[in-house]
Amino acid sequence: MTRTIAQLPAAVTDAYPYRSRFTEVNGRRLHYIDEGPPDAPPVLLLHGNPTWGFLWRDVIPPLLAAGHRVVVPDQIGFGLSEKPSAHGEHTLDNHIANLVAFLDGLDLVDLTFVIHDWGGPTGLGALLARPGRAAAVAVMSTWAWRQPSAEFHHRVLPWRTMHAPLIGPYLLGRHGALVGRGVYLSVIDRARFAERAQPVYEEVLADPDDRRLTYLWPRCIPLGLASDITTERFDELEAGVRALDLPATVIWGREDDVFTADVFARRWLDIWPHAEGPHLVTGRHFLQEDSGPEIGRLLVDFLGRRGPRASGKMSS
Amino acid sequence: MNGNAQDPSAAVEVLDNSARPAGCRSVPVLAEGELGHYPEFAAFFAATFDLDRAPLEAPGLLRVGGERYYELVFVGRSGRPFPAGVEVGALVAGVEPLDAAQADRDLWAILTWLVAGVGGDWTVEALHETGRIYRIPAARPPT
Repeated sequence: MTRTIAQLPAAVTDAYPYRSRFTEVNGRRLHYIDEGPPDAPPVLLLHGNPTWGFLWRDVIPPLLAAGHRVVVPDQIGFGLSEKPSAHGEHTLDNHIANLVAFLDGLDLVDLTFVIHDWGGPTGLGALLARPGRAAAVAVMSTWAWRQPSAEFHHRVLPWRTMHAPLIGPYLLGRHGALVGRGVYLSVIDRARFAERAQPVYEEVLADPDDRRLTYLWPRCIPLGLASDITTERFDELEAGVRALDLPATVIWGREDDVFTADVFARRWLDIWPHAEGPHLVTGRHFLQEDSGPEIGRLLVDFLGRRGPRASGKMSS
Repeated sequence: MNGNAQDPSAAVEVLDNSARPAGCRSVPVLAEGELGHYPEFAAFFAATFDLDRAPLEAPGLLRVGGERYYELVFVGRSGRPFPAGVEVGALVAGVEPLDAAQADRDLWAILTWLVAGVGGDWTVEALHETGRIYRIPAARPPT
């Protein structure tokens, strides 16, 4: 079923008052918004698991007020995009390829990638496939390497149990544990989130069969186990991002207890010594929920400081 | 079997498929396409239902609470060890409606039985605590 933002409850349309657009990527229907002057250099905001473009609702207004074009896709499997169920659909490579098709379809150039959670490995994978389209990158609570991995992701209680065989489809699929309670536990102002945002995230993944990716993405995180399925791609990602020489900024939740700032934000700055930051803001993993306007202003400042277009610059 | 977190796995019995009740239809209630994500889960099913010897015979059969039956249909996939996946179906009489709330509690009992059987890193305590953290109804302590 195709739904648009305008068909969603007022809690969505009031906070995310943008026109729904659709395009096709690799045969699947992808929902996105595209706001601001069409001839301005675009800013691409990429969400991860289990969110959608709505995550960026408080980040967008400062960018638009500063005159930027803002493009926000819902990754396939989330938000108002198609949620395919075919086995083998939700691989890291397929999702990278979906973004590559999206960049090509909209012919986005001079593009700033703003990436969060699985928006990182997918967005950076697409950037590395189309370096000529990229001008800058902003990272937050994400990663692009095998090691170090998050201590949280190694824990049997609760993380590995949550997405273990049959348990994942029960907890995260049947009961929507990640899209509701999981995000709730990963913000600072839980009362505000429960009132204003949690019902929205649950609304767009209302059916258990639509929540497949919420337990398949966790299984794609490399942990050094024999069953890891993304090892090669993460090795390629790390090599690729190390060779990137784009203006970059690192924005992180001060209270992030999954991708902790001391390990993960630091790692980005080790990889990109030229990067700005880390800019620490109030927030856990879903830092946009607590510090959206501040993140928007940080991005505006970053974009104002970055130099002339340096698309796709790779060091040798 | 009240389906609470005390010891729901005790109510799960593995039966020979000849005990499958007549006149029932199978209602899909849970499916896993990637048992190999943690191969010890696939190994547990293979050992419990003798799948190495007879991979494509009748579905596995469980009885929960002494009176409710569930079949386990094991799924193969080219290039993957068998079983690659499993589909759980509630066996419901004729065309009577599924008691979805009871089925949900029974699934929790089946997961508890599964985790207890797999063992190793996987513990019933971790499963039940995870269920409580995420406020799964079947994981609530009895009142």
